[in-house]
Amino acid sequence: MDLGRGLDVADYSTVNRVVRWFINLRWIAAGGVLAALGVAVAFTRLELPFPVLFLLSGILACVNASYWLFFHVLRREQLAQGELAAFLSVQVAGDYLLLFFLIYFTGFLENPLVFFFVFHTLLTAYLFRTGTALVFAGGLVAVFAATVGAEYAGLIPHHALFPSADPAAYVLQLPLRGAGLAGTIAISAYLMTSIKRRIAEKGRRIEIELDRYKTLDRVKSNFLLQVTHELRGPLAAINGYHEMIARGITGESTPRTLETIGKASRRTDNLLTMIDEMIDFAYMTAELRPKLEAAPLAVAELIGETLDACSALADTKRMRVQTHCPPGLELRANRDLMRIILANLLTNSLKYSPEGSTVTITAGADGGEVCLMVKDEGIGIPPEELDRIFEEFYRTRRARELERDGTGLGLSILKKAVEDLGGRIAVTSEVDKGSSFFIYLPQDGPRTGGTTP
Amino acid sequence: MRNKILIIDDDQDILETTGSILAYEGFEIHTADSVERGLELLDTVAPDIVLLDIMFPEKKTRGFDAASEIKAKQPNLPIIVLTAINREYAFDFTKSDIKADEFLNKPVRTRKLVEAIRRLIG
Repeated sequence: MDLGRGLDVADYSTVNRVVRWFINLRWIAAGGVLAALGVAVAFTRLELPFPVLFLLSGILACVNASYWLFFHVLRREQLAQGELAAFLSVQVAGDYLLLFFLIYFTGFLENPLVFFFVFHTLLTAYLFRTGTALVFAGGLVAVFAATVGAEYAGLIPHHALFPSADPAAYVLQLPLRGAGLAGTIAISAYLMTSIKRRIAEKGRRIEIELDRYKTLDRVKSNFLLQVTHELRGPLAAINGYHEMIARGITGESTPRTLETIGKASRRTDNLLTMIDEMIDFAYMTAELRPKLEAAPLAVAELIGETLDACSALADTKRMRVQTHCPPGLELRANRDLMRIILANLLTNSLKYSPEGSTVTITAGADGGEVCLMVKDEGIGIPPEELDRIFEEFYRTRRARELERDGTGLGLSILKKAVEDLGGRIAVTSEVDKGSSFFIYLPQDGPRTGGTTP
Repeated sequence: MRNKILIIDDDQDILETTGSILAYEGFEIHTADSVERGLELLDTVAPDIVLLDIMFPEKKTRGFDAASEIKAKQPNLPIIVLTAINREYAFDFTKSDIKADEFLNKPVRTRKLVEAIRRLIG
């Protein structure tokens, strides 16, 4: 029989722990038996075959010592999975055997410790596969039945635990006691294996559900990402038509028409910002988004790209954007995430600042960190709302008053993106004076999780 | 002689607006509403530069293949990919895999588009 195949504990480290635990327990068992025998010899008048019992407990100690030597010293707790399983099977079978003899020589079914076999059966049924566990339990019941039969028929002697007990009465009780024990063992084995089967089934069902959920989440995220991208197309066309009118390509327009077109453009710009926030939100909140590659990025170039992307808004509001970035400043990060961070910071500052004001972007490196600061002269954030601005969908009262259009997602996306890159955010703000956002990012890329393997 | 631009996009409105604005900027405009039509015009029109969309009805990323097909025919013809896709993760691609000389996001600022065109035509 390939003992190694019978194990039901898939986890290698669990089996390893069980083996260590078994050896320790066996020391206690051997010590306990020796002590009990000592006490029995010294203080009782029990007439047990003590030499045999001392021999058995000696064997138990020796066997355990050899297990200990093999496992801890010889193999330094390094056993292959199959070996470990076989080792465990040998131990369980050996324990059954020794325990059986110990019990047999100390009154057999008279001995209350006979119910230790129930504990062993439960343990075996937990550790081994149903088939193997049932073989162990069946074998045990068979050995017990045979011994009960032999004692009943007088083929083997009965070593009475209590000499005062009536031997005839014991023989009469034998079948009932035997049946009771066998039944308990059988029920224990059956219960443990069936509980295990039910748990395993539940586990499989949960795994299937989880798989289904993962697939659905992926489908949903992809759908949202694609749909939001599709929304940019019509906006591009609308912007194009606005521009055709504004530049007189469609013919001369009245000042009123030009003003109207200007207003329409402003709203489409806002719509574009909101669509981009939805795209990023769909991505950043996807349960199982793909890990993003990190690469060395030039900070000045990233800032330039962001300025380009936000130039429409800055132009409409006649705002100036000043940038201070040391040439050659680089950091390791994902380009999309950096774009999300910078675009959100700049859009926020542009949206919530008065016309004609200035936004300053400053970049620098210090102690392995790149710091990005975006400072505006905008409406500011009241102190009592400062800790809520990163919540999804949250917009401050003043922000809602000043700018109708907004998803309230921008800063929550920003926060997620910064966390993904292993960085942190700080904000200082004064109402009606302006806000400063500080982003600190590790210069050589995120250390744990995030975007680098 | 005016420089010739071939715009390939399945969106008629994009063809009309981008075409009109670039014509106004002084370019000769040719448009194709499918990649196949665009590849035909490549020979008959002999454009100086191609503006190419990515998402087409038959395939979400048809434009990527189209860029390779155009470059296979005319390796020196500059291509500007003009796409609504502004996040690479959404379509699982990296720009370096695409045979284009420039990527711009729709809606694009005319100033930026014209700058890119002039730089690539040289």
